[in-house]
Amino acid sequence: MSVFTRSQPEREALLLPELAELTAHHRAGSTGYDRILSSLGLAPDARFDTIADLPWLPVRMFKTHDLKSVPDDEVFKTLTSSGTTGAGASRIYLDKAAAAAQTRQLGTTLQEVLGGERLPMLMVDTIGIIKNRRSFSARGAGVLGMANFGRKHTYVLDENDQPDVEAVKKFLAEYGDKPFLIFGFTFMVWLYLYEVARDNGLDLSNGILIHSGGWKKLIDRAVDNTEFRRRFKEDTGLTRIHNYYGMIEQIGTVFLEGPSGNSLYCPDFADVVIRNPETWAEQPVGEPGVIEVVSTLPRSYPGHVLLTEDLGVCNGIDDGDWPGKHFSVLGRLPKAEARGCSDTFSGAAA
Amino acid sequence: MSALTQRFPVAEPIAVGQLVDQLRVEPPGGRLTVGDPRVIEFVTKFARKLLAPALARRFPELASLGFFLRKGELAKALSTLETSGDSLRFPRGLVFHVPPANVDTIFVYSWALSALAGNHNVVRVSSRSAGAAEAVLDALNAALSDVDPATAAAITATQRMVTYDRSDEISGALSLAADLRVIWGGDTSVAALRKYALAPHARDLTFPDRSSFAIASVRGWQAASAAERRTAAEGFYNDSYWFDQAACSSPRAVFWVGDAEGAMASGREFRELLAAVIEAKQHVTEPAMAVQKRVSAYGAAADGLVSSIAFDGNGLATLELTDATVMPREWLGAGTFANARVDSLAELVPTVLRKDQTVSQFGFAREELTEFVTALAGRGVDRVVPFGSALTFAGVWDGYDLLAEFSRLVTVQA
Repeated sequence: MSVFTRSQPEREALLLPELAELTAHHRAGSTGYDRILSSLGLAPDARFDTIADLPWLPVRMFKTHDLKSVPDDEVFKTLTSSGTTGAGASRIYLDKAAAAAQTRQLGTTLQEVLGGERLPMLMVDTIGIIKNRRSFSARGAGVLGMANFGRKHTYVLDENDQPDVEAVKKFLAEYGDKPFLIFGFTFMVWLYLYEVARDNGLDLSNGILIHSGGWKKLIDRAVDNTEFRRRFKEDTGLTRIHNYYGMIEQIGTVFLEGPSGNSLYCPDFADVVIRNPETWAEQPVGEPGVIEVVSTLPRSYPGHVLLTEDLGVCNGIDDGDWPGKHFSVLGRLPKAEARGCSDTFSGAAA
Repeated sequence: MSALTQRFPVAEPIAVGQLVDQLRVEPPGGRLTVGDPRVIEFVTKFARKLLAPALARRFPELASLGFFLRKGELAKALSTLETSGDSLRFPRGLVFHVPPANVDTIFVYSWALSALAGNHNVVRVSSRSAGAAEAVLDALNAALSDVDPATAAAITATQRMVTYDRSDEISGALSLAADLRVIWGGDTSVAALRKYALAPHARDLTFPDRSSFAIASVRGWQAASAAERRTAAEGFYNDSYWFDQAACSSPRAVFWVGDAEGAMASGREFRELLAAVIEAKQHVTEPAMAVQKRVSAYGAAADGLVSSIAFDGNGLATLELTDATVMPREWLGAGTFANARVDSLAELVPTVLRKDQTVSQFGFAREELTEFVTALAGRGVDRVVPFGSALTFAGVWDGYDLLAEFSRLVTVQA
């Protein structure tokens, strides 16, 4: 069952009441969230005319505050991720229902490109990344989460982070003539899979690549999404490539790249709003702004409408591979720096 | 063995031991004295460079610095050091200054006052310094050729600005050699430098984390003319937005003192005027800063500190405090002000902490302010200044009379 079916008007009509109900639900369950909305002048029975009218929280708030809308004794799992800003870890609280829903919805979303069955899987990472469970990195969490969607996992890198060409060859000899899944972070896929496959003449034409992470590390190599797809296609035969965009603060929701590339699509239970960083109004198609991610999944913490720290642009509405809005991520918002007397933000002298 | 980069006077990299040895030698022309004419000559020439229109336009903060270092101002400051009776005043010796990385001009104030007191100085200039700090170093080096060669030789022998990467060896050696160590840059810097021992007779002069707030009299506001109100908003803008509100003398909260109705009306008008100044100055709030402000403001609300939040564009956020006695003191982002009303200044007295540095005021009479400070009885607050003067550096800072701190007294009884 596909979750890429709703046109934008349909999505707006179906999601808005659900999101408004979620807003009320989180206000009832989280004092902190309720205080924020009240201080912004939003009455508990406030009505919202569009998804873009819904109040948003900056995603970084999950690093600075414990926000959850279920009682402590119903917390089943706490996710933490340091992210890249170094401002501490986000803490996301899931109850049993939320934990189940996020896994299920991630599964249905990926089914769109993977089909129903678990495929043999090539992990473009080292097994070491998931071995040390105690110091789990965001990358490790990603690898572990994605591993569920495949079987017969083969790791492309050995324990010393060196490409294990023999292992990859063996995997391809065994499973390469039928669809197989490839997963990794964008820069690692480029550095360790593309280059190895090209240099060793490996055939990846039956592969379905799911990758995530920014392009920043590849800019020096003059590789953008278009170039990435072109070179994979020409040098390895790999054409089914899907970038995705998602974050731990909205776990279970991934915005998936459509088959023709260069645009990310919202699953039926999600949406995006690109906001003008001056006025915070929604930007028209083609005008870059700050990405707000919207999803009906977060029910145990008020993460259903989040302003990210990424810049993006809406490329079109109901005119792409799949229905709804489709967008691109343009990079991170530069970090805020203050000139103060002190070297830290916690206080200043002079 | 790590070496120091010599930024002023520009010279080859040097080992710390050698630097300390050089700074211990008596300068050509004899030891420096308190108010040494050679230092005055050099500092005045340097100040003139900072006041050059082209430079002052690029870095307005350097114009304030140049103004502070004019000959007349120096004479006024030095006159406070005159002794009588049994006391004679002398330099302390070698002073090691550790200024903050991100306020470009502090190191100059600190250095200049210490040099005027006749000290030999070594200033650690951050490798991250840029812009105004570079301009200052250029001006210092250029000023060396504007003074007579004997003066230049004395300055070169006794005054050094250096840059070095974090090094226990260097920080340790400079600390041990110093008669006075001056640490700016907040609690973290103070704690970091205190790891290095000083000579037994030496001491620290520290400038830890501070925070500041503003007070406005409802009656004073009502009595003020439209022009005075506009000037107040402009002054407040300079106090707050110049260093993105992160300077510790920049106000972070505003207390309206007076009746509720008047406070409401005055506060609203003040915010409108401030928003107009922000607009007129074409102040730009970077998107990341705008997001930062949301995180802080929403966070204060989630914590229950704030009952309402109002945004006037990205430039100005006003946070109505739930309880006037609980004010956020940490930096919340450029242009984010806690706001509250109190009946009288006396109500604020119990909330003041030692950490509170500057009170910017509008519309109060001197007696009211003196009464307030007297009631504080030293529990906090080092200076009360009118709106517009929060960032104006003075020879008395954080409660220290700097020239006095940079010198010492010898008493003689016959």
